[in-house]
Amino acid sequence: MKTITSYLLWYALTVAVLTIIFRYFLSFGIENNSTAIITVSATIYGFLMFASGWYFGHKDEEYLPIYDIGFRFHLTTYLVHGAITLLWIGLGFCSKNEDTDISVNILIYWGILLLIHFLFFLWSRKKTIKNLDKDDLFE
Amino acid sequence: MKKDKLLDELLLSWENTYKKGQLTLWIFMALQESKKYVDEIKSFIEEKSNGTITCEEQSLYRSLRKFEVIDVLAYDLQEGNKGPDRKYYYMTDLGQELFDRFVDRNIKLFHSTEIINILKLNK
Repeated sequence: MKTITSYLLWYALTVAVLTIIFRYFLSFGIENNSTAIITVSATIYGFLMFASGWYFGHKDEEYLPIYDIGFRFHLTTYLVHGAITLLWIGLGFCSKNEDTDISVNILIYWGILLLIHFLFFLWSRKKTIKNLDKDDLFE
Repeated sequence: MKKDKLLDELLLSWENTYKKGQLTLWIFMALQESKKYVDEIKSFIEEKSNGTITCEEQSLYRSLRKFEVIDVLAYDLQEGNKGPDRKYYYMTDLGQELFDRFVDRNIKLFHSTEIINILKLNK
């Protein structure tokens, strides 16, 4: 069944754009030792990520109520954010003062949380037929 | 007057609950008759239910998408009068069997003499 929907792809694109902008300002803030830039950019990034997840998640659900307890969107966020972060570090775009281990550690801990989410997702699939909620199929 | 108002409110409340699960049955009935595209399904439902069942296009599309995913409905693309091709929906073999079994278990019982007599008793 189709799990990569157009709304998920739009969300992935939004996450990619937001993450690149965030990484830029984060590195810029670290480079200039500006706590304000780091805090403000992280806060705005967090808010916009949540808002876009909320928006595209609802649109996706209205289109087809895939019952995945948010796992597809979580996985997409992790993959896009992780890929851009690793590329940012790998290509040397980060600040000289930046401790890259922090970013890598965040991805590791986040990966563990994602794995836990995956286990809940597998458990939730008992309630589905072809990824749609059994109780919601013939509403 | 008070009794009439109460009766109307109770009837409306009962009908609202009753109708919630009816859309699927009406979609299947529409497609049992023939292949149809969305507007035709909508018209069929509203016409044959004497206007007691109305459905918004969005909920109809959403239901059709779900039924496609679970393989009980499929569609053929056919040219419309103007604009893009129309999706003419039909029941798959699985959908037909599901519909037949649902009707056997849940609708045909209303055709038993006993139930018909009970329903007639209050007339």
